[in-house]
Amino acid sequence: MRELFHRKLERTALGFVFAIIAAASVGGIVEIAPLFTIDETVEDVPDMRLYTPLELAGRNIYVREGCYACHSQMIRTLRDDVERYGPYSLAVESKYDRPMLWGSKRTGPDLARIGGKYSDFWHVAHLTNPREVVPESNMPAYPWLARNELDLADLGLHLKAQQSLGVPYTDEMVENAARDAYGQASPDTDFASGVTERYGERTQVSTFDGVTTQVTEMDALVAYLQVLGRLTDAAYQGTAAEELPLDASN
Amino acid sequence: MIGQLTAGERQLSVVILIALVIIGIAMAAAGRFDPLGIHGVVVLLCSGVLLARLLSSLFEPEPHPERLSKYYDDPIKVGIVFTMIWAVFGMFVGVWAAAQLAWPSLNFDTSWTSFGRIRPAHTTGVIFGFGGNALIATSFHVVQRTSRARLADQFSPWFVLFGYNLFCLVAVTGYLMGVTQSKEYAEAEWYADLWLVIVWVTYFVLYIRTLARRKEPHIYVANWYYMAFILVVAMLHIVNNIAIPISLSHAKSYTVWPGVQDAMVQWWYGHNAVAFFLTAGFLAMLYYYLPKRADRPIFSYRLSILSFWGITFFYMWVGSHHLHYTALPHWVQNLGMTFSVMLLVPSWASAGNALLTLNGAWHKVRDDATLRFMFIAAIFYGLSTFEGSFLAIRPVNSLSHYTDWTVGHVHAGVLGWVAMITFGALYTLVPSLWRRERMYSSMLVEAHFWLALAGTLIYIFAMWNSGIIQGLMWRTYTEQNTLTYSFIDSLVAMYPYYIARTFGGLLFLIGAIIGSYNIWMTARGAPVSRAEQDLPVVDGPVSPATPAE
Amino acid sequence: MDVEEVDPVSGRKTTGHEWNGIKELDTPVPRGVLIFLVVTHLFALLWWILMPTWPLGTTYTKGVLGTDQRQRIEEDLAQSQTARSQWTAAIETRSYDEIMADESLMEFVRASGRQLFGDNCAACHGTDGTGRFNYPDLTDDDWLWGGGAENIAETLRVGINAAHDETRVAEMPAFGRDQMLDRTEVRQVALYVHSLTNPATSTPQNATEIQAGREVFLSTCAACHGEDAGGSQDMGAPNLADNYWVYGGDMQTLITTIHGGRRGHMPTWDERLTEVEIKTLALYVNDLALEKR
Ligand code: HEC
Ligand code: HEC
Ligand code: HEC
Ligand code: HEM
Ligand code: HEM
Ligand SMILES: [Ca+2]
Ligand SMILES: [Ca+2]
Ligand SMILES: [Cu+2]
Repeated sequence: MRELFHRKLERTALGFVFAIIAAASVGGIVEIAPLFTIDETVEDVPDMRLYTPLELAGRNIYVREGCYACHSQMIRTLRDDVERYGPYSLAVESKYDRPMLWGSKRTGPDLARIGGKYSDFWHVAHLTNPREVVPESNMPAYPWLARNELDLADLGLHLKAQQSLGVPYTDEMVENAARDAYGQASPDTDFASGVTERYGERTQVSTFDGVTTQVTEMDALVAYLQVLGRLTDAAYQGTAAEELPLDASN
Repeated sequence: MIGQLTAGERQLSVVILIALVIIGIAMAAAGRFDPLGIHGVVVLLCSGVLLARLLSSLFEPEPHPERLSKYYDDPIKVGIVFTMIWAVFGMFVGVWAAAQLAWPSLNFDTSWTSFGRIRPAHTTGVIFGFGGNALIATSFHVVQRTSRARLADQFSPWFVLFGYNLFCLVAVTGYLMGVTQSKEYAEAEWYADLWLVIVWVTYFVLYIRTLARRKEPHIYVANWYYMAFILVVAMLHIVNNIAIPISLSHAKSYTVWPGVQDAMVQWWYGHNAVAFFLTAGFLAMLYYYLPKRADRPIFSYRLSILSFWGITFFYMWVGSHHLHYTALPHWVQNLGMTFSVMLLVPSWASAGNALLTLNGAWHKVRDDATLRFMFIAAIFYGLSTFEGSFLAIRPVNSLSHYTDWTVGHVHAGVLGWVAMITFGALYTLVPSLWRRERMYSSMLVEAHFWLALAGTLIYIFAMWNSGIIQGLMWRTYTEQNTLTYSFIDSLVAMYPYYIARTFGGLLFLIGAIIGSYNIWMTARGAPVSRAEQDLPVVDGPVSPATPAE
Repeated sequence: MDVEEVDPVSGRKTTGHEWNGIKELDTPVPRGVLIFLVVTHLFALLWWILMPTWPLGTTYTKGVLGTDQRQRIEEDLAQSQTARSQWTAAIETRSYDEIMADESLMEFVRASGRQLFGDNCAACHGTDGTGRFNYPDLTDDDWLWGGGAENIAETLRVGINAAHDETRVAEMPAFGRDQMLDRTEVRQVALYVHSLTNPATSTPQNATEIQAGREVFLSTCAACHGEDAGGSQDMGAPNLADNYWVYGGDMQTLITTIHGGRRGHMPTWDERLTEVEIKTLALYVNDLALEKR
């Protein structure tokens, strides 16, 4: 019976095409659509904050350099993962992540909670030449980051694109994107206060690469690394993981 | 080759190329402060060169109508050349990436050669450059032979071939410049993604139109797989790549899928890129070239049906096995895991179908390195799908995930299966296409076979070892129930395996270079064969055979 | 069948079709495949019954076991803490001296401490704790803030120039950059400091310069580093006479230090590590230094 049917199917190219489309569509629909309709998929947390323009720029540099090829940002619900890297990652923590950077290979350690673990100074030294601080490392050196000035002019466009996708950036944030990026890396200027006003007191304002004369790609990347795992404290609540909530003011 | 195109086809090509030149100029102008501009120049150069070439012989005489009673093989020949160029390029970059993990200074502290940028250049170069061209070229060959019909027209095959390679070129040069969406195997940015949609739709239409001209009443299994490959890759590509650019003059875009949903969409795509690009497509190749070379009938038609529909249906459910224990809800992970286990049945059914087809031809497997390539490919196909289903079981994955074990599994699949079946198919196809009695040197085929096999084995054993050691070190506890090793301890333990893998990869690369040379020399002048290997194209409409039953 | 044809090798009939010479046998699906099919499906079915699997609009089937990965991990973590509790309780409650006197507890400290140090501290202080450019050697028994496990634990808890409210603050002012000393004075005082650990460098020719440097030192630096340059562990001001350097004791580095100042950042571990872990690490670091001696 089945065979008879199949013999018929084999004689019509279009019929075969529709059969393939039908067979291949089910899995994706059943697995993807409910992720938008089941509420508990993404936890509801009140304290989730946004990436500042500088952090977002840093994130894009992380993508550009392919850091995700070696680093995951996903602490799994496994005992050794939690005991090494901290409380397991929650879906809400990557709620604003486009694309997500959970990764698929750990040539280097997980970075989901790297924020605040090391000093800015260490990150700069490490990114400039990892083997200077960690002789065993096989991570590439990124000396050009400290040389390249960050492109501030386009940041408004980035925020605007995110806004159109539903990330709650306000128009004011979009307008001030370049200024806020500059301010976050220049603590002693008037621009710094605007950043904390718009993005919250917990935003880290710092010179990052230690040089105040210009905002570099290094500033942006370090700002991003320092916020990883600190957008919300939700992961630390109601868990048997031994750590307490992080104080996000470094 | 241009002489084969009709005046109308030449004019159409000129129009399309002029349009591309204009697009290139527009991109270069709009993106002059952005990598987009460089890609504009790439588009401009590529289409400009083709345009010049075309214009120089625009007014050659019309081709002889007799060509319509022959198969149209010119694009296949060019496709094979592209295949081998990408193979050598992609594998060279793979060896380089492997070497960088062992000796990190080998990137010479230059941005475009750093590991994170060349890794996607490697994966795209081999999967899409090497694998994709091989699939396009063989699909053009197989669909004509098994339909006894000429390709539906002469323009679309060239558009597909050149358009596809332009996509690959833009993708790979983009990664080296840091233009990437970071979605594995879909890293290319929005404009390249859009272009690929156009190319792919043309490919699909060409394929269906050619099938519609077939003179065999039934569609052969190989074509089922090619169709599934073309169709499902289109679905996957479009859904996973929906993104909005920050502006039309920038390369950068943001995907519409956020966080956890993005993870699921990405691995629904990522796994099925494996399934429909690296598996379905190459199964199509296997179903034609293996029985052809062995001169044996397919072992079981019924098994073919079972495995085809099993693969088409089950594969699409299993992407979530890339996200075990993550913030993706547990229920999706369980679906991915259970479907992965059920998937093993159709997978092994197709591997078994291939191996049992060799019954009655085992002496050929022993003597003929070309057939041996395909035999080993079927073995590795069985092995890597078993390994895949095993790795998809959550507790196993808790050990393997994030480690080199995954990379070992990947290369058991791509070296042992994908690359081996491709070489076997090419060594079968090349002499017949260029009308040679045989390959230029069968000794070189033999040498290639052993280099490929040795390289694969060294590579995967190194990665199995390193992956399992790494996974175990991460989760080893002391007697006092505290972690034993720090991350850096596990990294230090990896170096010997990274060196071994580089060596294995080098052997494989040398094999591919030898193969390219052999193919080149065959095309240039191995002894000519007078015998007609293929049944001729059937002219004019032939009434479809009466239903079989 | 179009054509009745039998394959001579297998003795099976073909399906009667042919594509450019390729035929297919009509072999039935082997029984093994069917059994395999049933077995894997039964396995899947069982799993679906036991575990959360199928989505249902706004919810999903929870499975008979009623468990999921988050519940599992919480149980695992709790269990893991219980399994360690024999040790951790002892570390938590006993005094440093008691622990150091107890060889079995110290074994725990060495095993657990090695991994904790490797994953948290080695990035700066090196896997063996000997430090490198800009990061102090922890094995040399020369302490900025005083040795002994208790002092070390306090350093770990609050950090140095860190985000913690009670952080230790250690700043070496930028005498040159902030124009408290002019270029000659910076050079002279550097020469003087250099001569403390390299007596051979003081020659009759530069005696006056060194003397001038000494005067600058006494008036400017002694407040922190002490008249004998022995440092002050209350302020984290290093001993400059013992030839153990954080940043380096060559002339070039000394001038850089004195000109531009220093403000080393040691993170606080108060929130990232538990009390037991901090105590373990302090004992481990203390032990490193002891062993070295
Ligand atoms: C070739 C693989 C590789 C790439 C690419 C790579 N890393 Fe690493 N990374 C490592 C390894 C291995 C380590 C562990 C050794 C060390 O600390 O250097 C590491 C460590 C780190 C650490 C310290 C983590 C910790 O907990 O100690 C940070 C932060 C980091 N990398 C950030 C980055 C960033 C940002 C990029 C991209 C710009 C990047 N890495 C690219 C391999 C890589
Ligand atoms: C981001 C880099 C960094 C990391 C990570 C780090 N330290 Fe430090 N540590 C420093 C610096 C810098 C100093 C010196 C501060 C100064 O110069 O005043 C220091 C000082 C110390 C001191 C005081 C030394 C003395 O002489 O008094 C101790 C003890 C110490 N670290 C232990 C640790 C331990 C244990 C860990 C891991 C839990 C750790 N450190 C992690 C950077 C780091
Ligand atoms: C306000 C207190 C203070 C004064 C005054 C001061 N220092 Fe320091 N000095 C420090 C501290 C604190 C450190 C450690 C900084 C660190 O590790 O980050 C330090 C570090 C140093 C070092 C680096 C030691 C090493 O191990 O690499 C040198 C050299 C030094 N001081 C020399 C001087 C000289 C010379 C003067 C006078 C011109 C001086 N200091 C005045 C507080 C002081
Ligand atoms: C010369 C032989 C090859 C060498 C030396 C090589 C080397 C590598 C290296 C070093 C990586 C990165 C692994 C890591 O991040 O740790 C990699 C990844 C990859 N390679 Fe290859 N490769 C080779 C051939 C191929 C071929 C022929 C294909 C496909 C047809 C292929 C497909 C892939 C894929 C898909 C990945 C990504 C794996 C993952 O993300 O888990 N490789 N390869
Ligand atoms: C039944 C068939 C298969 C199943 C169930 C399967 C399953 C898996 C699993 C569980 C992983 C690891 C995911 C992770 O932990 O990150 C994986 C990774 C991978 N597999 Fe397979 N596999 C199968 C066949 C194949 C074949 C035949 C190939 C290649 C031709 C292949 C290529 C890959 C690639 C490229 C990855 C790496 C993805 C990434 O992380 O970048 N797989 N597969
Ligand atoms: Ca991967
Ligand atoms: Ca893409
Ligand atoms: Cu998969």
